[in-house]
Amino acid sequence: MASYDLNEVLKKRAAQQAKAGADAAAQGGEVDLGDVSRVKVLSPGRQVFKRFIRNRLAVFGSVVLIILFIFSFFGPILYPYGQKQIFYKYDYQNVNYALAKENTGYNGYDVDSAIEVERSVANAMNSNIKKMIETDMQEMTVVGKEGSYLIRLEIPGVYTLSSQELTPVCSVGNTQVKVGTWSMIGKTFAFDVDEIPGVAQAAASIKGASGSFEVDGQEYTFTKGAKPKTFDVFTVMDGVVYTGEEPGGEFEKTIEAAAASGESEITVDDVTYSLVKDGGNTDVYKAGASQVARVYTNYTVDTFETGLKLPDDFRASALMAAAADGSFSSDGKDYTIREEDAELVIYDADGREFAEMTPFSVRRYSGEDTMSYDLKKAITAKVQEMVASGEHTAVLNAEIPVQEENGAYSVDEEGNYILNETEMKITQRLEGEYVINCDQINYVIDMFAAPSSSHILGTDGDGFDVLARVMYGGRISLMVGFIVVIIETILGVILGGIAGYFGGWVDNLIMRMVDVFYCLPSMPIMIILGAMMDAIRLDTYLRLMVMMAALGLMGWAGVARLVRGQILSLREQEFMVATEATGIRIKDRIFKHLVPNVMPQLIVTATMGLGGVILTESTLSFLGLGVKHPLATWGTIINSVSSASAMAHYAFIWIPVGLLICFTVIAFNFVGDGLRDAYDPKAKR
Amino acid sequence: MFKYTAKRLLYSVLILFFVMFLIYVLMYNMPSGYIETKARELASRPGATKSYAEWLADLNAQYGMNQGVVQGYFTWLKSAMTGKWGDSWSWTIPVTKEFHNTVWYSFILGLVSFIFEILIAIPLGITAAKKQYSFVDYFTTVVSMICISMPTFFLATILKYIFSVKLGWFDLSGMQGRNYMNLSQFGKFLDVAKHFVLPAITLTIINIGGLMRYTRTNMLEVLNADYIRTARAKGVPEKKVINHHAFRNTLIPLVTTLGGSLPSLFAGALITETLFSIRGIGFASYQSMIQGDIPFIMFYLAFISILTLLGNLISDLLYAVVDPRVRLS
Repeated sequence: MASYDLNEVLKKRAAQQAKAGADAAAQGGEVDLGDVSRVKVLSPGRQVFKRFIRNRLAVFGSVVLIILFIFSFFGPILYPYGQKQIFYKYDYQNVNYALAKENTGYNGYDVDSAIEVERSVANAMNSNIKKMIETDMQEMTVVGKEGSYLIRLEIPGVYTLSSQELTPVCSVGNTQVKVGTWSMIGKTFAFDVDEIPGVAQAAASIKGASGSFEVDGQEYTFTKGAKPKTFDVFTVMDGVVYTGEEPGGEFEKTIEAAAASGESEITVDDVTYSLVKDGGNTDVYKAGASQVARVYTNYTVDTFETGLKLPDDFRASALMAAAADGSFSSDGKDYTIREEDAELVIYDADGREFAEMTPFSVRRYSGEDTMSYDLKKAITAKVQEMVASGEHTAVLNAEIPVQEENGAYSVDEEGNYILNETEMKITQRLEGEYVINCDQINYVIDMFAAPSSSHILGTDGDGFDVLARVMYGGRISLMVGFIVVIIETILGVILGGIAGYFGGWVDNLIMRMVDVFYCLPSMPIMIILGAMMDAIRLDTYLRLMVMMAALGLMGWAGVARLVRGQILSLREQEFMVATEATGIRIKDRIFKHLVPNVMPQLIVTATMGLGGVILTESTLSFLGLGVKHPLATWGTIINSVSSASAMAHYAFIWIPVGLLICFTVIAFNFVGDGLRDAYDPKAKR
Repeated sequence: MFKYTAKRLLYSVLILFFVMFLIYVLMYNMPSGYIETKARELASRPGATKSYAEWLADLNAQYGMNQGVVQGYFTWLKSAMTGKWGDSWSWTIPVTKEFHNTVWYSFILGLVSFIFEILIAIPLGITAAKKQYSFVDYFTTVVSMICISMPTFFLATILKYIFSVKLGWFDLSGMQGRNYMNLSQFGKFLDVAKHFVLPAITLTIINIGGLMRYTRTNMLEVLNADYIRTARAKGVPEKKVINHHAFRNTLIPLVTTLGGSLPSLFAGALITETLFSIRGIGFASYQSMIQGDIPFIMFYLAFISILTLLGNLISDLLYAVVDPRVRLS
């Protein structure tokens, strides 16, 4: 069959007529009333379009939507900032800048790290030194578990801790002594001490893992030895048991008396012995030569070069040198140290001042040594002046470096510090401890910046650019709207189509389902879902999907009802009879012939529904139960400033975003209204 | 009429049965451990009246969470029908008691905004319809569209910003002023009333748009009817045409929808009450929902489902009552 397209024919004819008319007009003729060119026939689609265009509100809505789509989907491509990009700025912050104090504690540095110092001795150093200062002692012997130590005052403020060699002399009290080892294989008894008669014979009868036997009234105990089939035999000896040679003379008596009275040190015949309690026994040691293990001091090093990190062994050798001839070397460089005005000054090989050691330390509040020497000296001087005048606070004008985000100082291109002038306030906190605070320029997160040329809508509480987040948020908000509406429509069309076409019990069943879903309170359910997803800490993207699926699942009932109603009326029309007569498959009958006829209404409801979904999504996100930070949607942006104070102060964030939501929903509604009127002019009132 | 009502009632009960089943399934499938965690948290709260085991035993007895879904549902249904709704987890008092404490605030708030809604929306809608395509009509259309499209939280925030922060007329949220306790009985009433102003305005504005559009559409339909043309043709004064002939007929759909929305006055305004901290049922249920208070949530969901069904029923019946042309079958 030849096709006959009325439109094409008419267009052709209209073109001819127009040409003829133009010719006629050119010749001064007039267009006839019956001319085809006067009658314009439009296709249904164009008619709808024309009617839609005439509706001013609908056009306004479409324009808003187009702008919004460009803004949300193309905006982020052109806009330089991302949604999770944090912005920083330099700003004055009143900080606790530094802490100045007189050192009361003594720090130890290893002089000879090969010598191990007992932990308990090292820990007690501060109190021991304090005791020495109080009682004006020059030397002090400390006995630990493993050895004896000597603390000696070298120069004021510098103490050395030496380890003394100890030789065990004897042990006093109930001493357990290993008599020997009995081997069952060789039936031999190897004595560790002088041979004791009778023991070997008695040992021959040993049985079992452990036990005891008696010889001459002396009790012996045995346990299984290190080698198989051997037994170690012990006995407890009273009195003094010598390990090495006996000093003889009065020693034994003196040492027993000292052990009984619990003394820790005793001198017999000009030899100093130390006594260490070990269980019921007292071990006696003789002190030998001493060796310096560590050096303790309350001096801190201030180098002339700012921020120079010195190794601990530099300090150790400097302090040792200060106590000795004054010259030392560290890292292959030679230095000399001299005492000047209660300070220890270190000169390098060229005789220039390299560093200074004082008992007064000025450090950054964090404890770092990153302040310049001049500033330290200025603060020290100010503190001394303050103390002299009896004040508790003082003010000092100084220049301090600007600090970066990670705490490092900012430098310009030439590597010099960028300084800012500030007024330092020195306040006494404790006896000999002073806090210095001041306004420092720090590199901080640019929170809640007011709108400016670099951030058109300002920044939010996380230092994110609000405009960027509005763009990305628009993407998600619009996408959520579309996906939910698509889910709703697909479900609704399928179920509504089936119900409407088949009727009967299928219809009944599906319509009862529709009733049930209609009755389901969707907002509370969404809130409960959100709270549950909060509880199990679901991933942000996953919860976005769950939210969309849930919204779609709860919204299909309306669409199904609409589709069914339309199909019920369409089903009886002639073209459906024709489809039946031509034997088209049922699936095609529903989805190719019936559903397209429902399309206009579907498009209208879907457009209106989009606005509703965007509202629901933004409300959920606003409550913090929808899309989560750091993902942006319009709801979350407003949520971030929903507290009373943020709301009052940062209106520049939430007002534009709220208006945007309003505009979007209004635009969708206008377009939906316009589409409905355009599709069905009879319904327009 | 009676037969129809009875049939509809039975039908509503059937729907309610399935709605509650869906809700029960949702609750039943709460992530594992969630209930246990919540119960443990409750038991360890200061002043807890029940131990962890007691809370769980309560829950199992009432909700049958330890049985299969279907069996559990019937267990719950049985205890719910006998009025055993259990103790609320977040309010630690019986659910029904918490309901009594809160529902009247919601009702008053709903009623006030309902009255204002009617007083504002219906006259405006009718005026717009009378002068179709006039400025008033466009204005009404746009305003109603804005009201429909306004997110509740945004409107509430704007109102708070203007009236509480900038003008300082009202408190930001809450139901009582700072010196509520020192006020006289009447003063207390006024204080609470003052705190209800902003929420009432919010609710009114949110709901006004839909009613306005509805009124306008129906009025236009009536004005296009043949009997109006007849009346005009017969020379009946325009005032009489509008007020007597048209308005009365417009009332038919209006009364049915408004009657249908009466039960929802009890449902409470979830978002508005939460934003203004009005201790109504909406606020209580929101708090319960985010705290996983299963007894109260189940009660609230059952309650609003019943209200929705009741609303549908009322509007259908009213339709028959108001319009004698409609025959129920």
